[in-house]
Amino acid sequence: MTVGAGRSRPGIGDYLLWSVIALFIIVPLGCFLAYGFFSVVDNAIVYRPTVGNFAELLSNPSYRATFLRTIRMAFEVSAINLVLGYATAYFIWLRPPGMRNFLVIALAIPLLMSYIIKIYAMRGVLGTNGLLNSALMALGIVDEPVSALLFNLTAVRITLSVVLLPFMVLPIYIALERIPASVLHAASDLGANELQTFTGIILPLSLPGGIVGAMFTFVLASGDFLAPELVGGIEGFTYGRLIFSQFGLAFNWPLGAALSILLMCVALGVIFVARRLGNPRWQR
Amino acid sequence: MAKPDTGGPDSESGLPLLRIRGLGVSFGPVDAISPLDLDVHDGEFLTILGPSGSGKTTLLRAIAGFQPPSAGRIEFDGRDIADLPINRRPFNTVFQDYALFPHMTVRENVGFGLRVRGTARRQMTERVDIALGIVGLEELDSRYPAQLSGGQQQRTALARAMICEPRLILLDEPLAALDATLRRQMQNFLKSVQRQSGITFLFVTHDQSEAITMSDRICVMRTGNIEQIGTPRELYYRPKSRFVAAFFGASNIVEPCRIEESRDDMTVVSTPVGTFSVKGPPPENTSGLALAIRPEAFGSDAETRMNSLEFEVAAVSFVGSETITELRHRNTSLMFTMKSRSDPAARPPETGSFLRVGFDPAECALVTGAES
Repeated sequence: MTVGAGRSRPGIGDYLLWSVIALFIIVPLGCFLAYGFFSVVDNAIVYRPTVGNFAELLSNPSYRATFLRTIRMAFEVSAINLVLGYATAYFIWLRPPGMRNFLVIALAIPLLMSYIIKIYAMRGVLGTNGLLNSALMALGIVDEPVSALLFNLTAVRITLSVVLLPFMVLPIYIALERIPASVLHAASDLGANELQTFTGIILPLSLPGGIVGAMFTFVLASGDFLAPELVGGIEGFTYGRLIFSQFGLAFNWPLGAALSILLMCVALGVIFVARRLGNPRWQR
Repeated sequence: MAKPDTGGPDSESGLPLLRIRGLGVSFGPVDAISPLDLDVHDGEFLTILGPSGSGKTTLLRAIAGFQPPSAGRIEFDGRDIADLPINRRPFNTVFQDYALFPHMTVRENVGFGLRVRGTARRQMTERVDIALGIVGLEELDSRYPAQLSGGQQQRTALARAMICEPRLILLDEPLAALDATLRRQMQNFLKSVQRQSGITFLFVTHDQSEAITMSDRICVMRTGNIEQIGTPRELYYRPKSRFVAAFFGASNIVEPCRIEESRDDMTVVSTPVGTFSVKGPPPENTSGLALAIRPEAFGSDAETRMNSLEFEVAAVSFVGSETITELRHRNTSLMFTMKSRSDPAARPPETGSFLRVGFDPAECALVTGAES
């Protein structure tokens, strides 16, 4: 097609590729953005530009509360996963090569499974007669099943943490893998003990992976509506469910689009910050 | 090897700085290093030279502590350090890939050894400044490794290894990644730093010319064994084995070789191409005895030399400062190579012409062992 040096005039291939990108990515995104500026009157969309939706979602205290609660929940999930994911990745990294590969594949397999099945599985784990309660009772920690494990925001936190863990572990593991053995040897050769090697070399070199993982986790958790819908109950009402309800129940597409645009801006902001943090000066 | 041939001036300074006895490394059933002895003397530049797979890097890694030995003792200054963890060994390493810390500046890299020892900030700054001065990187101290050239990274790695003032530095093929010009510069630089600092260098390379130009002594390794230890001149002019002879470019090997007589530091041997005098006593073990003649030993002034040979010129190639002449022995058709300094005035010998060449007893050596 247009591969080749010194070719300045775009060929037919470029036009084709651009039209695919425009048709399937830019135009839909533009439509979506545009819908945020329309309104609904008597169950019909009025195609006259207005900022009413944005005014409403900023002034409505229940929207604001849901938004802040969701952002906070996503932040918590990211923080929990950063600790859990780092420990997991570090543990895998320290195994012998064969075991390491096995564990990485085992960790990646759930990514190939249906998301909704994983959430149902978590519902089974957290439920009154679920795995977690049975285990707690068998261990004698509780006398009767704990119902507080399901249908609240904590259930959403636990479910998202479990389901999104691979997105955290994999980038950290890749960052750890990229540390040359000789660099670690050099640290101990210069007299660093294990703790000094970890805090001085391993952690700073692998943390950019953790930031990428935290970005994935945050963006996926803040926009998710299936997990809150299925395990969150009334208490676990999140921003993702709010958007879903505008499209699926209230038939207010313009408001749903406006809500989505706000979330998208937050996600883009997080991605921007993560790109800066995850790509420190010494790497550029 | 029958007796430990650790070489070197053992007597003059008493104990060697590093004394290795019976050190072996095995990977499962494979011996990467057969138990060997080696002495490294205080203040010397000792090079471990060998082709890939000779065990030279494994030996260095065992000394540094990255590779646990399966047998033997490593004594530093009279103390066995074979069981000491890497971070407590009293010397430092320059790595083949430099192994700089990518997230630290040159200054932070160099100061790392002091930082982990809890050195006070002011003292650290002073000592890092001195080390950066030695390697000429004062101006680049705030750069990150990715912003440095190969030679600058190399200098950073050297300064980092020197900062704790070790008495011994291990260098694992540190020049392998540099281009030819830079490598020559760094050879001179390393050698001068070593001489001025008085730090003992244990240097690993596969490049014999590098070993010759830099080392006080060279230890040639082959398949996990020490083949020969000696000064560059000894190895160059008096190789003991065919392997060492070939490695240092004594490419004319004549065999079989029989000892006729030996007296007064001179040995007379008979070979298929004639009888020759060789400087030095005959080797104790004469299995696979052969005569190794350096290509540059041959001279056309045959009448002034003790040994001479009659050849037919097979090919002449001019390679700049040298002219390489392929010679066919008249009676046996055995091929020899002669290297001579190119002479703009003289006409090169013509192909097919006959040429009588001579060589001195000091420019050939009796070697033993299997073919390399």
